[in-house]
This record gives sequence, C-alpha cells and structure tokens, in this order.
Amino acid sequence: MLVGAFACAHTPQLLARPATEDRDLVLRVHAAFARVKRRLTELRPDALVVVAGDHVEAFFLNAVPALAVYVGTEAAGSFGPYRYRFPVHEPLARALVEQGIERGFDLFYTQEAPLDYAFFVPLHFAMPEPAVPIVPLHVNVYLPPQPTPRRCYAWGQALAQILSERSERVVLMASGGMSHFPGTDRYASPAFEWDREVLERLQAGRGRELAALSGEELDRAGNVELRTWITVLGAVGEAKAEVYCYEPSWHHGNAIVEWPI
Amino acid sequence: MADLSESVHYRFPPARAYVLNRCLYRLKSDAAFRSRFVTDARAAMAEAGLDETEQAALLAGDRDGLVGRGAHPYLVFMANLRLQMERDGVTFEYF
Repeated sequence: MLVGAFACAHTPQLLARPATEDRDLVLRVHAAFARVKRRLTELRPDALVVVAGDHVEAFFLNAVPALAVYVGTEAAGSFGPYRYRFPVHEPLARALVEQGIERGFDLFYTQEAPLDYAFFVPLHFAMPEPAVPIVPLHVNVYLPPQPTPRRCYAWGQALAQILSERSERVVLMASGGMSHFPGTDRYASPAFEWDREVLERLQAGRGRELAALSGEELDRAGNVELRTWITVLGAVGEAKAEVYCYEPSWHHGNAIVEWPI
Repeated sequence: MADLSESVHYRFPPARAYVLNRCLYRLKSDAAFRSRFVTDARAAMAEAGLDETEQAALLAGDRDGLVGRGAHPYLVFMANLRLQMERDGVTFEYF
C-alpha cells in the first residue's frame, strides 16, 4: 500500500557544498530534508520507490529507455568523492515490472546499471535509520524524445493501482526539479515564477493539470525533470501538496514537498 | 502558464555526434578515461575517435561549438565540471 509521497530537489551542490553556493540557503534545504527524514521514520515504510531522471549515467545513447525499473539485489553508484550503495526491494521491483507490463507499459528493466546521483542526493539526507530498501524507477528526462507528461502521469496511476494490491508499506519519492538549465546560457536564470505557479497548483490539489503540459513547455521552463514529479502526481491524484521549502538559488529552484496520503 | 518563447534547450542528439557525445560521457562517468585525458588530452581524444575540429572545440572549452556539432549540453557541462574537479581539486564541503 502507498503510505506517503514526496518530491525533492537533488542538485549536487546541496551535497558537495562548493564555495559558489549560498550557505544559508543550502542549510535551509537541508532542514527541509531533515523534516522528510522524520516523516519517513514515522511512516515506517518497507520500501522507498524513488522516481528519478538519469543524468546520462546509467543509460547512454546506446540504449535509451523511456521508463525503467532497477530489479537487482542492490544498486550502487558514485559521484566525485561520494560512493553509495542501497539494498533494492527485489520482490517489489519485480512486481512493478511484471504488473506494469500487464497494464500496458512496455518497461525496460536492468539488473546492473550505475545509480545516478539523482537517486542518491535525496536519500543521503532523508534515508531513515536503519536504511529502507529502495526501488529505483528511471524516467528519461534529458535525452529527447522523452516520455510525455501524460504518459508519466498514467504510469503513476498504474503504480498506485499496483501498490494498492501489495502488502508492503511503500513511500513514493520523486527526485528532480525544479527549474534549472545545466549546460545552457540560461543556467544562471531559472524560471522561478513558473515554479511558483506550479507549486500553487499542487497546493490546491490540481496536480492532474500538469499531465497536460507538453514536453516543450517543460524544456522551456527548465523543468524536464518535472516528469518525475508528474509520475508521482499520477499516484497521489488530488492530494494537496504541503510545500516544505522552495529555495531559489542562483541556478536552481530547490523544492521539497509532501503529499499526505 | 507563463509564455516562455525561446526554442528548446535539449534537442535530439544527432547520430553524427555519437562519437563526440560518447567521449563527453566517458569524461563525465569513466574515471580511467578522464585520468588519461588529464594526462594526455590529444591521445585520449584520438582514442575516443574525435576528429580535428571536435578535438579543437573540446580543448578550447568551446561549449557553443560542441553543442553546434550535436553535443548534448548536459554532457558538455558535466564533463567540464568533472575535469575541473580532477585537475583543479575543486573544493568540496566548503561549509
């Protein structure tokens, strides 16, 4: 059963804390992550299903899955000096692939792929103790053509149906966003107003409207990664988001939200 | 939604740029290759199959030139950052 849902930023500067960043802002985001950790501890999940966009780490142009599931005993990766490894809830991961395919989603699965930092950064801050097994779900966000927001939303709806028939207590967590433009001229000018408008819709329980966005709109707003949030929105329906923080840095709209289930 | 009228930032990576994107991907994610590049960039780029123009653009850090040749902007960005981290020992955990 689904017992909780969150969405979190994962910009690596939150982890690496280079001199380019505003210390107080980063610490405020850390405080919001600490709140997620406390909530996760209260929710006592048996598994954390993390929906993230791979930064061309696990999957390069030799194989570009739109939607993928890591089905292994563990998932590991590295980013710079950081090394990480998490147990995978294999029975649940396998059920998501099998039942997702039964429901018409032609999923890609992998038993060995490096785990991108998009999965690691939120878990570094928010993983309860002892650690909960994860199921990494990949959404292609950076290599066009990406899955449509509509398709991501439908996948989230299917996830909710599958999870409703499972005995495990499961928390869904989207990792990504909000506005940022890595590698482009707009890196230092994200679309913060666009972000705020989206957050208002989410607080009003109008997340379904995001399924109607086009991929081009997401790209122009620096929000290609919002596909991970839209996936979770498909699972939470009209739940009203509680915004833990929205901290616009010089390059990134850092948001953390919870949808109470 | 607010009107954001520029063209898209992340485009379909053309197949003609596959070798260039593969080289950037290896600089980002393959520590041994990145290390070889730091030691001898020309040799590493030749090993990766880059042509002269691509090699010149990469050596010059010419982002627009690389993207114009079909490189993915995120790969250019992160390959460069990872190289900086390796060469200059970019300070982490500053606070």
